[in-house]
Amino acid sequence: MALNILIVDDSSVMRSIIIKTLRLSQLPLGEVHEATNGQEALKVLDGNWIDLALVDINMPVMDGEEMINRMRQNPATADLPVIIVSTEGSETRKEVLRQKGAGFVHKPFTPETLRDAVLRTLGGLDEQKA
Amino acid sequence: MSKKLETELYKAAAMTFEELSFLLPTPEIDEQQLNAQVEAAVSVDFEGPFSGKLLVKVYGGLLPILAANMLGEEEVTSRTQQYDALGEIANVICGHMLPGIAGSKDIFHVSPPRMAESIDLPPMAEVQVGLGLGRADLLLFVSRYPALMEESG
Repeated sequence: MALNILIVDDSSVMRSIIIKTLRLSQLPLGEVHEATNGQEALKVLDGNWIDLALVDINMPVMDGEEMINRMRQNPATADLPVIIVSTEGSETRKEVLRQKGAGFVHKPFTPETLRDAVLRTLGGLDEQKA
Repeated sequence: MSKKLETELYKAAAMTFEELSFLLPTPEIDEQQLNAQVEAAVSVDFEGPFSGKLLVKVYGGLLPILAANMLGEEEVTSRTQQYDALGEIANVICGHMLPGIAGSKDIFHVSPPRMAESIDLPPMAEVQVGLGLGRADLLLFVSRYPALMEESG
């Protein structure tokens, strides 16, 4: 099954790096959507079927943490798998985000790191549903 | 200048340039790198238990090279993309430097990168990183940094 992925980052260069890395990692990619902040991302989620969101934390307009809070409050997106892709170094903040069901990938990353995080996040959710 | 801040700043910068833009960083600066012309500067602000700004300046034709290496392309001619790439480098350096200075428990909010304005204040830490024929200068401005107050007290 091809994965429809949403990439949320205010840097167009970082979004391009993530897309290239996903293609290199040989994951079955379907549609790839992009958003420059949390508010734009919520609009994309409203109008498209997305299987996984890769989200930066520090962004203008609406940051990644606020975006995840709003997603979890919406029944349509409450269970959507999310991976934070960020430079975040605070274990305190990372733990808060983990409790909201988000995986974590630290920038910079290798294709293998990103692929493993995607597989772990999607696999983990499958196990919970089973 | 704080030695601890400079050590953490250099460590974060060297790792970022190497892993994100595939350039080999050196702490030594040769004459050509020293005389290179400045071509771009970006800054990121951070706020948390202490606040401040990280300024990153690149010299000697590095700006298009950074963008091309990060994107895996032969050439990146868009100035917007070149500045975006440098901004992301500043963001990653800042994100890696802060836990080194403050520890991994404190939370900082890092603002989006922007083209740098001139800053009149002296930096609390400054390092130079040699990168091929050019170099990067990193200047860290900090307010209310407790460890430094203890050092000076």
